[in-house]
Amino acid sequence: MLGLIKKDFLMLKGNFKTWLILLFVYIVMAFQETTNLSFLLPFMCVVTMLSTFSYDSYNKWDAYVCSLPDGRKNSVRAKYIATLLLIFVTLLITTILTVIIDYYRTNAVNLESIVESIFGAIFATTLLQSIMYPAIYKYGVEKARIAIFIAVFGFALIGGVLSKYIDFESIIQGLAFLENYIMMIIPVIIVVMLYISYKIAETVYKRKEY
Amino acid sequence: MENILEVKNLSKKYPEFELKDVSFELPKGMIMGFIGENGAGKTTTIKSILNIIGNYKGEVKVFGLDNKKNEREIKEDIGVVLDDMFFPEILLPKDINNIMKDVYKNWDSDLYFKYLMDFNLPKDKQIKTYSKGMRKKLEIATSLSHHPKLLILDEPTSGLDPIARNEVIDIFRDFIQNEECGVLLSSHITSDLEHIADYITFINDGEIILSKTKDELIEQYGIVKCTESEFNKIDKQDYIKYKKTKYECELLVENKNEFKKKYNINTIDKISLEDLMVLMVKGEK
Repeated sequence: MLGLIKKDFLMLKGNFKTWLILLFVYIVMAFQETTNLSFLLPFMCVVTMLSTFSYDSYNKWDAYVCSLPDGRKNSVRAKYIATLLLIFVTLLITTILTVIIDYYRTNAVNLESIVESIFGAIFATTLLQSIMYPAIYKYGVEKARIAIFIAVFGFALIGGVLSKYIDFESIIQGLAFLENYIMMIIPVIIVVMLYISYKIAETVYKRKEY
Repeated sequence: MENILEVKNLSKKYPEFELKDVSFELPKGMIMGFIGENGAGKTTTIKSILNIIGNYKGEVKVFGLDNKKNEREIKEDIGVVLDDMFFPEILLPKDINNIMKDVYKNWDSDLYFKYLMDFNLPKDKQIKTYSKGMRKKLEIATSLSHHPKLLILDEPTSGLDPIARNEVIDIFRDFIQNEECGVLLSSHITSDLEHIADYITFINDGEIILSKTKDELIEQYGIVKCTESEFNKIDKQDYIKYKKTKYECELLVENKNEFKKKYNINTIDKISLEDLMVLMVKGEK
């Protein structure tokens, strides 16, 4: 599986310059104390990772990888692990930078805010990964984008219609007590979400004929 | 003779195409040419052998082992070139070495770079900058660099110029010097197969219509050329297929010597694989 993880990283190395520019933008923004952008780089990495699916599909890599030892078994796993590693590394870099810049600016480090933004960034990126990857394996990159767009639009529409009949505000207020446990709940949600997503993607991949 | 590959009653149904009870055997130390027109079922058969497609009926044994139960073990010793399926083209050939050394236990980096050098393939250029022929050579180099025992090659010489094709054929010839190895080679370029194949397996419309040694084919089969009046005197069971042209009739016969004895027709040409394919597919009965 290590070889397949390497393959995805090697495919991404062409994006290194773009990521450096983004990192620079992030540093400038962090110094100016505008909005917290610590999610930006990991998020962009996941988006870039999506491009590897297009290259895979264009060169019919999925058929080829299935001819390699344990290729079918490891292909999906490698993609998920490569993405998580990428999120972890980029988040680590931005967190270190945030701490340094925070300290430089204020002579103090706002740990609570940093932890919150880390959790937020992990949640946003893994949510994108969890939704997109099974859809891509099922429908292919192009159709998956359309499918996701339709799903999001559909949810918004259903939510809009339901809001006329259901008082969402009071539900949210009723769940306000969960705020104290949010730091415990989010990791659990992330793990469950990733696990379900991975299992769906794996099942789709195992059944698919390339 | 021990078989390196056995395919028994392989069947697979698609809405528009069906693989019907495909069976053949490839003995060790041999090269089998797998021929048939486009869409005949060559790639489907190869993909089934490699478990790239599933849900097929039948049995496939590689090195005497079941291809599903022992998939990992088997694939360690198979080298594969698939038609238009390979690494993403933004990678460099040296990246492939980096990846494959963690995929195959026996990956031999030195051998891989030697093939790249022999084939004049730059290791630092993206695959997308390669010509079709160079890409094919890279695929072949990749398929050979983990010391496989069985090569499964789907159109490995397509896109190569005659000189490169010759180089590649020589490599397959060297490969088969080890009598523990075998090659299943699907190709449209029948002249290549005439040079190197020991066996010919012909698939048409999802069915194997012929699987024989090349020598048997060349010695026994023939093309009878006769006039229409001569043709009318020939029993239907004495030829496989026929084709009428403006001036003569061409008949594909299974045993040219017996045919000669039975009929007084002396124009019986030696068969080429191309003639065989054309008459088998396009000929009438």
